[in-house]
Amino acid sequence: MTAMPSRGGRGASGSRDGKTSTRKKFFVRRRKVCKFCAEKLEYVDWKDVKLLQSFIPERGKILPRRISGTCALHQRKLQTAIKRARAIALLPYATD
Amino acid sequence: MRLYDIVVLLTPDLSEEEASKVTADYRKLLTDGSAEIVRDEPWGRRRLAFPILRKREAYYHLFQVRALPALVTEVERRLKLSDQVLRHLAVRADEELKRSAKMAERLRIKAIKRPPRPPAAPPASPETADTPHEGGAS
Repeated sequence: MTAMPSRGGRGASGSRDGKTSTRKKFFVRRRKVCKFCAEKLEYVDWKDVKLLQSFIPERGKILPRRISGTCALHQRKLQTAIKRARAIALLPYATD
Repeated sequence: MRLYDIVVLLTPDLSEEEASKVTADYRKLLTDGSAEIVRDEPWGRRRLAFPILRKREAYYHLFQVRALPALVTEVERRLKLSDQVLRHLAVRADEELKRSAKMAERLRIKAIKRPPRPPAAPPASPETADTPHEGGAS
């Protein structure tokens, strides 16, 4: 019994749909800018809880770069700052 | 001499005066070790982000100090031994400050070299594909 054509045919037609490529992105995303670069804050102060809190979502984790838009350099600095603040209980390690 | 940030967390069992007395002891310890105190800030009684030794609050105190490394290790040793200190953190601040100052300087020079960009266009402008704005003011 060879029931191959139906299975193979379905997969091929699904992936090879020429019409999908012509579809355009119709919403323009706002460009994210690194907060520290924009405000020219070179030193990320680990004692500044208010600033760090803006990079801590509900759960207490560190907000990823892809969401906050922070540049690589400042994300690294932010990371150490948040970890230091956690060590002295200014910020939570985890919450729920 | 190096610049250090030292944050001390004291138990909330102490009264306000007792807490300031304990911090005064550490201040004395630092100044006796020929440290120069740059910042000396009591943050007061703060809520902790998570309980430490079943305590939910603590007295925070920040010292920013220019001191020799040996003195800081000694102070840290005592902070660790003390029962009144819930937790402490001592980190070097000068290296990072220096590095960030250098970065700021570099950015400033770059900004001078490059002509200033005109203020950002309104967000809903139709042609955003290419922006041939040249700030050739001078």
